[in-house]
Amino acid sequence: MIRVVAVKELRELLRDGRFRLAAAVVLGLLLAALVFGWRHAQAVKAERTAAQSIARAAWTGQGDKNPHIAAHYGMYVFKPAGVLAFVDPGADPYLGVTLKLEAHKQQLPQDAPAQDGTAIDRFGQLSAAAVLQLLVPLLIIALGFASWSGERERGTLRQLAATGVLPRRLLAGKALGLALTLALLLVPVALVATATVVAAGESATAARLAVLLGAYAAYFGVIIAVTLAASAWAQSSRAALVALLGFWCVTTLVVPRLASDAAGRLLPLPTAAALAQAVHSTLATGLPNGLPREEHIDTLSKALLAKHGFAGAETMMDDALLQGLELQAEAEYENAVFDHHVGAVMTSMAHQEQVGQWAAIASPMLAIRLLSMALAGTDFDHHRAFGRQAEAYRRGLVGAMNDDFARNAGAAGWQYKANRKLWHQAVPFAYRPAAVDQVLRDQQVALAMLALWAVGATLAAVLVSRRMQVL
Amino acid sequence: MAAVLEAIALRKTYGDVVALHGLDLSIEAGEIFCLLGANGAGKTTTIQLFLGFIAPSAGSARIVGLDVATHALQTKQSIAYIPENVMLYPNLTGIENLEFFTTLAGRRAIGRAGLVEILTRAGLAADAAGRRVSGYSKGMRQKVGIAMAMAKGARALLLDEPTSGLDPKGSNEFSRLLQSMSADGVGVLMATHDIFRSKEIGARVGIMKHGQLVACMGTEDLSHRDLERIYLEHMHD
Repeated sequence: MIRVVAVKELRELLRDGRFRLAAAVVLGLLLAALVFGWRHAQAVKAERTAAQSIARAAWTGQGDKNPHIAAHYGMYVFKPAGVLAFVDPGADPYLGVTLKLEAHKQQLPQDAPAQDGTAIDRFGQLSAAAVLQLLVPLLIIALGFASWSGERERGTLRQLAATGVLPRRLLAGKALGLALTLALLLVPVALVATATVVAAGESATAARLAVLLGAYAAYFGVIIAVTLAASAWAQSSRAALVALLGFWCVTTLVVPRLASDAAGRLLPLPTAAALAQAVHSTLATGLPNGLPREEHIDTLSKALLAKHGFAGAETMMDDALLQGLELQAEAEYENAVFDHHVGAVMTSMAHQEQVGQWAAIASPMLAIRLLSMALAGTDFDHHRAFGRQAEAYRRGLVGAMNDDFARNAGAAGWQYKANRKLWHQAVPFAYRPAAVDQVLRDQQVALAMLALWAVGATLAAVLVSRRMQVL
Repeated sequence: MAAVLEAIALRKTYGDVVALHGLDLSIEAGEIFCLLGANGAGKTTTIQLFLGFIAPSAGSARIVGLDVATHALQTKQSIAYIPENVMLYPNLTGIENLEFFTTLAGRRAIGRAGLVEILTRAGLAADAAGRRVSGYSKGMRQKVGIAMAMAKGARALLLDEPTSGLDPKGSNEFSRLLQSMSADGVGVLMATHDIFRSKEIGARVGIMKHGQLVACMGTEDLSHRDLERIYLEHMHD
């Protein structure tokens, strides 16, 4: 019975010229967004890989020099493009991708791609995610707003009711019909995207893509259920259309903006200048509620000496060894200061995202947007993970340089020079995106909100269709 | 014979307005009962109560002995409904519409060939069955409606001014189909303004006024003129 209704709905829609036109527009935009997105992502990947090779060559080819000077010389690392950035560029265009790793300084990624964008980029870029999140719901609304109300207006609802078919079966058939129509459009595109990802040797990404497709399917299911509920509830097709367009405006335009503003007001972030000033000030004076700078470094030096078995033997030590350990103690003090300030900023950003995730209770689009960015590897979580990994790499690199200085400088002191052998010992930085299960754990609130919408919208559609008046 | 359609003290009110005053009516298998009356007399309300589209305020509407209110699904399986305008899906063909509604009514086993034959029996030309309904005339849509009733194997037929707007030939063809179904044992309740057609095909005629069945008579001994006179007398009261 459900299949019969679904096939009828599908057949009617496919024969409707308005549907064919709307579907062609959405499909054309989606394909264009995917093709251009893929080409752009590949170009970015090649560009950053080349830049990383140049940076690595600069590091390994820097010539003989003191290892602490080499740590000052530092190196650049580049954030790889998100694994599914061609589907959803997310926040990537607005976040820095270049990071200078050097002694005494923890920096934040610089050089956001949007800085190099043209003026027209400010109007927003066409992405597959934008088509899927904004335009496909409009297509669903266009296909389904008259699903029930149109039957009532045409008089076919009386014919249906007279057959004795149960409303819930009609509802399921109509939902399946809409889903099948959408699947006819989107499944081939999804298959081509998956095949492209796998053919490009990105099989690890396929798992993310599979989950991403599942999330979008759930999102479209929500929109279908909301559309059918509104169509059954409204007195006329026109009223259903107005209600659904209102729902679209509120959930895709108003709620995300309000959530963003609320997060910014509730959890304000310092400006880059204010952050730099705070770090500078703390570096000079010491951590709040902590020891003053010199005492703090002294404590760390003693701990390092004890760790290396030189507790209380400073006067008998080689000067270079002592200097090397002191440099490391200073670095660890600086790390504590950076952790204090940058950590606070990162925590605030994470809390801002939590506000966004909870706000998804008023907007399924917000839930899918957060999930989509996360699964594409283009959200703030991935950005922060890149920063954390790069910082851990920087600390390891600086530590290795200071350690080499302490162990090998000897009487040469600051005149000691290490060579390319040491530079090569530093393995290249490699950013590792989180596994898909970790991504889902991080986005559990958004996932729960999407599930809540799915259950709520389905229940609403069932209840409204059961109480629907035939006349 | 057993009643296929039965109204027992059937009443419907909308606030203070009484649309139907305790109607008592019984229609047997194979009988065609025509319900005459002006607009707003309660004819459509009666049919909608039998269909379960609206709930009675009192009394009961029964189909093959089952109360519509308590056996909504079973009673619908025994009836077919043809409104003034049989509304179909314009982007589907006649045969596709028939197949869809017949399958929903649980008569999947008939098959496409059987449905084409039923459409032909209902008077729709074979080549028209494969065309989209958007190009059908009202008469053609009414024939699909009759075909739906035939395919469903309904035991009772509820008709709400089905010949309104049909040309005389179409109206005559429609009447012949009703008589054919009646001969097969289908009980028919037809609300209509057409006094001539009521006399022609109805075994009995009822006249409704202000929600009441004010007259009920057999047509066998009545002339067209008698029926018209009785009808007008009631309308002028």
